[in-house]
Amino acid sequence: MGLLTGKRVFSIMALCMMVGLLLLPIVIALPSPAIGEEAPAGDAAKKDGDKVEKGRDVYYKTEGIVVGAPAPKTTDGPKDYPRYNFESRVLIWFANQQHLYYGSFVLAVPIFCMIIEFMGVVTKDKALAKRYDQLAYDFIKISLTAYSLTAILGGILIFTFLTLYPAFFGYLSSIFRPVMHIYALMFVAESGTLYIYYYGWDKMKEGFLKWIHLSMSVVLNIIGTLLMFLANSWIGFMMSPAGVDEQGRYLGNIWHVIHTALWNPLNLHRILGNMAFGGGVVAAYAAYKFLAAKTDEDRAHYDWMGYIAMALGVAFLIPLPFAGYWLMREVYAYRQQMGITLMGGLLAWLFIIQATMIGILFLSSNYYLWQAMGRMRGAEKYQRYIKYLVFLLICGFLVFITPHTMVMSPAELKAMGGQQHPVLGNFGVMSAKNGGINVMITTTVLSFIWYMRGNKVSTVSWAKFGNIFMGVFFACAYINIIWLAIYGYYIPANVRVGLSVPQVATTLSCLFFMFALNSVMMRGAKQMGAIEWGKISVRSQYALIMLATAFTWMMALMGYIRSSVRLFWHVNEIMRDNSPWAYTHTVGFAANMISFNVLFFWISILFVFWMGSLGAKKVPVEAKAGIPGSVPQPAASH
Amino acid sequence: MKALMSLGALVGVIGILLLGGMIFNVVPSTTVRLVEGYMPMQMLFELTCFVAGFAGLSYMMNAMGMPFPRFWQGIGFWAFILLYLKYRVYPPIPFSVRAMYGTVSLVAVFMWVSASEEDWKKFKQPIMNVLDAQGGMNKLLRYAYLVLLPILIGGFSYNAMVPKSEEPIELRTVHPAPPASTKVHGKTYTLQTSQNPYRVNQEGKYDQDYTNANIVEQGMGRLMKPNANPWDDKNKGYLKYVREGGEIFFQNCHFCHGDNLNGRGLHAFAFNPIPANFTDPGTIAQLQETFIFWRVSKGGIGLPNEGFPWASVMPPWEQHLTVDEIWKVILFEYWHTGYYPRTWD
Repeated sequence: MGLLTGKRVFSIMALCMMVGLLLLPIVIALPSPAIGEEAPAGDAAKKDGDKVEKGRDVYYKTEGIVVGAPAPKTTDGPKDYPRYNFESRVLIWFANQQHLYYGSFVLAVPIFCMIIEFMGVVTKDKALAKRYDQLAYDFIKISLTAYSLTAILGGILIFTFLTLYPAFFGYLSSIFRPVMHIYALMFVAESGTLYIYYYGWDKMKEGFLKWIHLSMSVVLNIIGTLLMFLANSWIGFMMSPAGVDEQGRYLGNIWHVIHTALWNPLNLHRILGNMAFGGGVVAAYAAYKFLAAKTDEDRAHYDWMGYIAMALGVAFLIPLPFAGYWLMREVYAYRQQMGITLMGGLLAWLFIIQATMIGILFLSSNYYLWQAMGRMRGAEKYQRYIKYLVFLLICGFLVFITPHTMVMSPAELKAMGGQQHPVLGNFGVMSAKNGGINVMITTTVLSFIWYMRGNKVSTVSWAKFGNIFMGVFFACAYINIIWLAIYGYYIPANVRVGLSVPQVATTLSCLFFMFALNSVMMRGAKQMGAIEWGKISVRSQYALIMLATAFTWMMALMGYIRSSVRLFWHVNEIMRDNSPWAYTHTVGFAANMISFNVLFFWISILFVFWMGSLGAKKVPVEAKAGIPGSVPQPAASH
Repeated sequence: MKALMSLGALVGVIGILLLGGMIFNVVPSTTVRLVEGYMPMQMLFELTCFVAGFAGLSYMMNAMGMPFPRFWQGIGFWAFILLYLKYRVYPPIPFSVRAMYGTVSLVAVFMWVSASEEDWKKFKQPIMNVLDAQGGMNKLLRYAYLVLLPILIGGFSYNAMVPKSEEPIELRTVHPAPPASTKVHGKTYTLQTSQNPYRVNQEGKYDQDYTNANIVEQGMGRLMKPNANPWDDKNKGYLKYVREGGEIFFQNCHFCHGDNLNGRGLHAFAFNPIPANFTDPGTIAQLQETFIFWRVSKGGIGLPNEGFPWASVMPPWEQHLTVDEIWKVILFEYWHTGYYPRTWD
């Protein structure tokens, strides 16, 4: 009893310490905002006389006292752009991308752990609870190895900036000085919390202590998310600067510098993106282990792990296009030319590639779900209808990837009779594309519902009515989405942009209402047979690997697009890039570079997985007892 | 169910015969016309009918005890889509887009034939038979593939590598990003915030809704709204400015952009690409009026760097027209096409 009380006290102390670590950087940073409008610089200037120079915020249009130096006007040479006999921009690109991959992974996986651990805590089935707990532990173990690699890559990135772009980095750090320190301290807090969370797993595995442990994961994720928000403020500032005047002089208000026009859309987009990416990577890990598994127990375990990771990843993938839409809307609102460069001009073709990758993500997810029906008895009844889902998905996909500006030879251009194709040109604009992506998402929801009821027959008295209602609901949803896409051509652009709201609402209605209705209908349903974990086709596992590869490729692509839209600016319209590499790469070069980054990441993460497996080999036999094997998974858990 | 499938089968057979007829020029390609204004949905509707038709055909053949092998169903459907894109859709689709569509269709066929283990076994059975080569015919086929496949791949490689005299493919930026502001006749206009001074209501105030209500109707015919005829001499304000814009358009622009504003003017086909088609939803309907103002004022020569390959011969109209005339022409273009300029509020 005494030992238990001691553990409780210790756990509560650990949790308090984490909260303290979380608050520490904020407390330290408290004086920094005071640099702003009213305090020190202003006071000092007043004491010196009347030489208070004021500047106008380029974004907020407020006046502030100038407290920083103007953005340096760089020149091409060793002073501002020291270099090796290589393109410095490519080196930065590589270092940045790898750091981002690992950073995203280690931010996403603890969120998964939190969700899975919570599911384990609230599940009444003890065997299942143990499986969830073990899965969460497996996840955090992978994350831990990746965490140190993230820190190493972060260091490499900083050194690359310092050595290759000293003028730019000097300027950025002069603006973000307090933020960068808070960032570093948050990193310390994140590390401390992560280690306590990981090493305290076994000691806090039951009862009240388990809840304390779960709370630690919440704190860990808050710290991680704040870390990402801070890093986002730097790129937000580079794209849409605020808090400085036209010369780039800091006006003392740190909140303005952080809270730029694109900061919040970037934050949301990155959280969802990281989660989807993390799910994809873990799913690929599970797929790899499944393919390499030698026993049925291992196959069952990794099949289940892949399914959970995929489901979590897709859950965050579904709202991702909507977050992206918001980001683009804000980009257009911030600078029209930036929006046009992205979606109608120089970088438009990269957006077509992005659309293709998004399509691949949805195709892979759906394909996996159809394959997964193969491990359930009773799901055969849905198989003959899959071809119609394929058709819907592909129609949505084809519309979604149709380019507005087609690549063609002058002879083809002449044969076509103009730049715009009278049939396909209509698919190249936003109204049609919104329809396309919403059809794809709604179809994915439908696939999920079929999967969830694959081996079950509803026993509720109103089952027939429920099925008809669901069918009609989905049919109306498709009709509404397609009708709104057509209607978009007949109304002003500002109203058309607003049409995305009812389209998204339709899709989300399918997601929430139909999931809820299906769950109610399947309560106490008759089971046609258990889910036979591990008895899934190998094609499904390749679909998971495809899913993860598409995520990584798309992430690199979007990072490149976001960065390239600044064109020849380090900080948009404030600090010009005068290096020899201030031009936009060709699509081909960018694609090769992205592929190289993806390849490097996968090779290095394989190394991380291998390291993780070395640790697993040392786990004593009794600790492995909880690892799920051939125990059938209750269907109600989906 | 059977009646429905029979109907589907009928649609499928008619579709195949029509497409075959069009390919071999037995049936005129205009037999089932793509109707202007409805073409994109018509294409998707036709494809939906074909899918329903083929499903019905397969069902009927099964019912008659003559099942069509899954392998040939997959291959046949893919070939059908390729032929449909090549021969049915007019004007011809550029190869790059057909290649994209063809690849996606191939993926779709793969997803369909491998969705269940049973279907996948059926699909790959003929391939496995040839690879195993138990019978004489399969052995022969295997040898044939052994010889033909390398020749085919070699042929493709040769074709890809051989120097060609064709003009290179261009990745043209049709709507390059405009500058933040533009200077015309000594005055600077901020593109994000400037407005067309002639888009006004009867009180002379800027009014987007009022002018939107007086443009021609979209769709076929592009009919004028009742009491919104710009050529009525009594008109004042917006409709009067539209008429003046129309006069300027027909004096200066219609030679290239055409009297229907569809880019098919008298001189249009002397250029490649032909001038912009304002009736297409991908041109002025997507843009702010200030974007058009900038493009008209500065012409092809004023295209920014990213407007590669600067394939526009439009003169910089600021050298020929006043600022007011440019705004009025733009007003007319939106009125005539029935489109609304993009706004951000």
